[in-house]
Amino acid sequence: MKKFLIWAIACCVLCGAPLAWAAESGTLTKNDELKAQPYRDAKTLKALAAGEKISILGKDGGWYKIKAGKSRGWVRMLSVRKGNAKKAASATGLLALASGRNATGKVVATTGIRGLNEEELKAASFNADEIQLAESYAVNQADARKFAAKGKLLARPFDYLPQPQ
Amino acid sequence: MKTKIQWLSLFGFLFLAANCSAFDLRQSLKDKLKVDVPQVNPKLTEAVSVAKEVRGPDETEEIAIGRQISGNLLGAAPLVKDAKLQKYVNQVGAWVASQSERPDLPWHFGVIQSDDVNAFAAPGGYIFVTLGLYRLLQNEADLAGVLGHEVGHVIRKHHLKILQQSQLVEAGSNILSRQVGNDKLQNLIGSGAEIVARGLDKDAEFEADRIGVVLATRAGYDAYGLPGVLQQIGHFAAADNSVALLFKTHPLPDDRLNKLDSAMGERFDSIKGQTLEKRFYRVKK
Ligand SMILES: [Zn+2]
Repeated sequence: MKKFLIWAIACCVLCGAPLAWAAESGTLTKNDELKAQPYRDAKTLKALAAGEKISILGKDGGWYKIKAGKSRGWVRMLSVRKGNAKKAASATGLLALASGRNATGKVVATTGIRGLNEEELKAASFNADEIQLAESYAVNQADARKFAAKGKLLARPFDYLPQPQ
Repeated sequence: MKTKIQWLSLFGFLFLAANCSAFDLRQSLKDKLKVDVPQVNPKLTEAVSVAKEVRGPDETEEIAIGRQISGNLLGAAPLVKDAKLQKYVNQVGAWVASQSERPDLPWHFGVIQSDDVNAFAAPGGYIFVTLGLYRLLQNEADLAGVLGHEVGHVIRKHHLKILQQSQLVEAGSNILSRQVGNDKLQNLIGSGAEIVARGLDKDAEFEADRIGVVLATRAGYDAYGLPGVLQQIGHFAAADNSVALLFKTHPLPDDRLNKLDSAMGERFDSIKGQTLEKRFYRVKK
């Protein structure tokens, strides 16, 4: 048993990403279908109902790989919302702690990490050195094209989306 | 009929030259048209101010306004001191922005030192993402989608329109054309970087989301970067401080995802894009 635990922890450390995926839950926001592959015309494995709880195992483009009951398959990402319908309250404490603030927004620790609220933005004054530094990193169009080519990114036409009713 | 055409062309010229003061206009009209313009008709002067209201500040003024706002924002949260990171977001951002209808703006991107989850756009092409948001990203397509949303605000002049609504920009552009210092410019944009903390209307945000996925797609990326990030942010409790300002200034992620779902539908089904997870620049924890 102990050995197993050590192995499990080692695995956690080695492959953090897939395990992080395994931990995520989701809820169907509308009726949809569980597909065998991440595309529209793939075989339908079963129907999924709005409100159904699922586990999210991975992502491919606009599709989530999920576990729904005992079945595994793919569903459209936008038919799912990550997390339970009730947003986890426990996460609040943790994140608030990490940002050095308590739940009421008061700074509870001086860790050097700062938030950015309306008052801070209103009170901000011009920092000439920082804006010059920001401008020094500018990338021109020719270099942007080179960068894109390195990543094998191909520009392609695609119309803007009309506003849905 | 002939006089009508003359009037029309005169009006057209005034429209173009609307940035000059009425007096300069009369001078330049004399020069350009080589006719004697006896007196600026009060109706024409009215047309000038109407035209100006419609057209707003020119690009130079827009950039000056955005620079001032951005300098203030950086006064509240400076850049993360990681040159490789800053260069990288500029490479991705410049490529995404080059797919928009304003590729020639001097685009600037940056990651700022804040654990908040947020991103900001200022007129003229200044865009900043917080370190807190950057840390949520998993690949380059996520970054492209987020930057694409902000590029959307810039190209549709969402914040500039707010400034115009407060009727300050007109005064401001006169000030700018007379090369008066930064104090006047500061008066124009309100206090500090307040403007970026002010919420836009929901439709502007939904529009920026639609533009974000399209620009990422045009740039060759997976279109679902931005929706994926919204899923991640939707995961946060609304009471969480790190998303307080974001949730105050934007519709909630679930609403944005609903709207994106309707807008995207099956349009992207046959479109594959890159995520470039390996190339994605990861910040040290
Ligand atoms: Zn926005």
